Amino acid sequence: MQKEHSIRLTVNSIHRDASVEARRTLADFLRIDLGLTGTHLGCEHGVCGACTVLVNGEPVRSCLMFAVQADGTEITTVEGVAPGDGNMAPIQEGFWRATSFQCGYCAPGFVIVGEALLRENPDPSEEQIREAISGNLCRCTGYQSIVEGIQRGAKIARGEEA
Amino acid sequence: MVQRFTGTRVKRVEDPRLLTGRSRFVDDISLPGMLYAAFVRSTVPHARIASIDAAAAREMPGIVAVYVGADLPEHANPLMLQPVEGLKTPAFYALAHEKVRFVGEPVAMVVAESRYQAEDACDSIYVEYEPLPPVTDMEAAIRPDSAVLFDELGDNVMYHSEAKYGDLDAAFAGADRVITEKISQHRYANVPMEGHAGLSSFDPSMGELVHYSSHQGPHMLRFGLSFLLRLPLNNVRVLCGDVGGAFGSKGYFHREEIMTAFASMRLGKPVKWAADRNENLLAGGQTREESAVVEAAVKNDGTLLGLRVKLIVDQGAYQCVPYPTIVFPLLARALMPSAYRITNFEFHITMAATNKAPYIAYRGPWEIETFLRERLWDILAVELGLDPVEIRRKNLWENQELPRPLATGAAILKNLTVRECLDQAVAAIDYPGFRQEQERARAQGRYLGLGISCFMEPAPQPIFGIGFDFVRSETATVQLEPDGGVTVFTAQAPHGQGHETTIAQVCADGMGVSMSQVKVIHGDTRVVPFTNIGTGASRGATMPIGAALGALRIIKDRVLRIAGHMLETAPEDLQIVNGVVSPIGGGDRSVSLFEIAIVAYTAPFTLPPGTDTEMKATYTFDYEGAWAQSCHAALVEVDTGTGKVEIKRYVVVEDCGEPIHPAIVDGQICGGIAQGIGAVLYEKSAYDEDGQYLAGTFMDYLLPTSMEVPHIEIHHIIPETDEEIPHHGVGEGGLIGSPACVVNAIEDALRPLGVKIREQYLPPARILELIGSIK
Repeated sequence: MQKEHSIRLTVNSIHRDASVEARRTLADFLRIDLGLTGTHLGCEHGVCGACTVLVNGEPVRSCLMFAVQADGTEITTVEGVAPGDGNMAPIQEGFWRATSFQCGYCAPGFVIVGEALLRENPDPSEEQIREAISGNLCRCTGYQSIVEGIQRGAKIARGEEA
Repeated sequence: MVQRFTGTRVKRVEDPRLLTGRSRFVDDISLPGMLYAAFVRSTVPHARIASIDAAAAREMPGIVAVYVGADLPEHANPLMLQPVEGLKTPAFYALAHEKVRFVGEPVAMVVAESRYQAEDACDSIYVEYEPLPPVTDMEAAIRPDSAVLFDELGDNVMYHSEAKYGDLDAAFAGADRVITEKISQHRYANVPMEGHAGLSSFDPSMGELVHYSSHQGPHMLRFGLSFLLRLPLNNVRVLCGDVGGAFGSKGYFHREEIMTAFASMRLGKPVKWAADRNENLLAGGQTREESAVVEAAVKNDGTLLGLRVKLIVDQGAYQCVPYPTIVFPLLARALMPSAYRITNFEFHITMAATNKAPYIAYRGPWEIETFLRERLWDILAVELGLDPVEIRRKNLWENQELPRPLATGAAILKNLTVRECLDQAVAAIDYPGFRQEQERARAQGRYLGLGISCFMEPAPQPIFGIGFDFVRSETATVQLEPDGGVTVFTAQAPHGQGHETTIAQVCADGMGVSMSQVKVIHGDTRVVPFTNIGTGASRGATMPIGAALGALRIIKDRVLRIAGHMLETAPEDLQIVNGVVSPIGGGDRSVSLFEIAIVAYTAPFTLPPGTDTEMKATYTFDYEGAWAQSCHAALVEVDTGTGKVEIKRYVVVEDCGEPIHPAIVDGQICGGIAQGIGAVLYEKSAYDEDGQYLAGTFMDYLLPTSMEVPHIEIHHIIPETDEEIPHHGVGEGGLIGSPACVVNAIEDALRPLGVKIREQYLPPARILELIGSIK
């Protein structure tokens, strides 16, 4: 058997103690060990961005990070973005109103990078949005509706759209 | 005012689960005791398998089983197509048996307690190959001296036919000029964000197989698993939940999924496999590698008198089952005249087998007809000194010349709007203004270009009489639940098209209830109606709606009869508004659907004898087919220093009838265009001359990002109609019109440099080669 390592981290505000093989990716740890299957794998080599999660508030590709490297961090996945009161987060609500996605497989990554963008820049221009999501691939939409969704989400977050 | 859902941008029913991480794609599902599969794949393009040594792998930790091709014949049938006239259909097994025919072909399967362990063991399986000469070029493949993929066939010509319509000899004799060009398109791929995936769970005590799949056609897959694994059909259940895109690639009996079912049957445990990206790019299917010699007989004024096309198709190593690759060139032949006065027409098809991944359907899989034809108009315009818009106008049918059958088949041309789409696109893009701007730019050494392409998309497909006209009907079941809710069981298997929303929109309006009272069920073969196609072929706007509304009418009729009895009013004088039945002219008595349903389910004896209280109805909708019609126009700028192409504007004028959900419709168009832009500028399923595959990651196979796909302007033409279902398909057109449009624009930009483009793949390095700055 492969040697296992103990890690302690916080995932979506819940403290977790776990034991993982050194080679277990953070994505597989989240999906298989914690059952947080909202994070999706689209390439497993760091290009498509579907597996993006927030690690200490920064967007990170969970397919390129080992679970052991996440020891001591605070992680937010797509399951942890909404406030928990039954409502969606503004970025999710914006995507919903804009009919941003089709198959939705890539959506978790866009929710995370969109959330990170709005935290940093509450009123991004179209160009800033396109730049911010340029590391995430979507095969269905041509991105136009995703850009619109982030614009809507920003408006909701700023209180300009009820 | 009654709220109408059809035609509005309601929030999609699917999105809350997709946006909050609660969706269920196959790889998100785990079953107790589940095992994981991984595959050993061929590293060589063409070889005999001399031996496979899995002894070491079988001893590794967590390994439960290893299967090879030789294990299959005893328990499984080979994959084989239904006979098609003139088509060679050699059978093959889910795992390579005796020979491998492309890099990436599955050779052995490992089943283990984790995917990590399964992949470890794959690395310890030793396959000894006796190499054979690789066949990598379709034109070389059909020469007598080529190595042969299927020994039993004797050559690699899988199909050849020559079809003639009208009087081509007379057309050529009467022509001012005959212009001959060879035009090709390259191999690329669907690349859905979720690759193929299957999770099989066999219960040996009952002999039942449950198979979760990422698939477009669960009923066909059920059929396939039943036949291939020798199980009675009623012991096989296929379940499709969320499916992460397909674009035509997920309608087949995928070899790896057959193997998860095979393994689960041998082991009595659930077995899961989800393709990783490398597997998807290597073996998930590739498409569109075709080349044609086009001979056009023209008059000097641009009138096309006759057209001869000699098409050669590279099918790769295998034709995927159950939809043979030959369907696509046959459809291209049927469709090529499109909305134009092309009546003297000849179309040859030669299909070659090569040592590459199988050629599968990709969103508008007959697109070569539009690429050839719309490239040809631009080529003819240049040769004859004519305007590319005018030459199209000159050759498009006028509606007063219609109806008439398409020269190549039984489909009837009528009510065409292609000319209107072209006119509106030209106006939207300010054609004269652009030509002036182009002149000014050229004077400054900048290269701007304009591309146009016009086409008609069969949506859904009319009858062409080519032997694949099996998609003209669809069935749906509607149930009024005991609480008054409406459940629709659709034969569609959506994978991004939003049918849970669009079908609910139309059915809510049809029944007179809120959308929240309508639930659309799909993907479970135990409850959804049989279909031999599922979601595809641009059927999803018309066929499921016609079927659901037909079933709904039956239920509504029964509901109103019961309500008529309860309200002592004639059924025809009643209406349903917000789930409540009341007299049309008003009145103080009303009854809710809940009250009616409860009576129907629990107290039918209180109703007059003979009252039909069955609250579930099934209806089959037959349809003659329809067209979506469109014109695409693109403005590009080519940087002749770097070879980079920038798309500055992209305009679409689309007639797909009345959109059920405008944002879903526009999303389909935008997504298809993004794929077409990708095909021309970024994407290639590249093989080297030895047959080795070169584009196995997203660092080699480039998908367009948000920085490469421009804002797309979409205009709709919605003609007046008395059709029962005024909604036509729109799924494929984006990727039918865009490759020709973008290539036309690039050639137009580079015209001052004398560049002629007769291919489709134009990354920066190729642009620089074409303009002569690099060799």
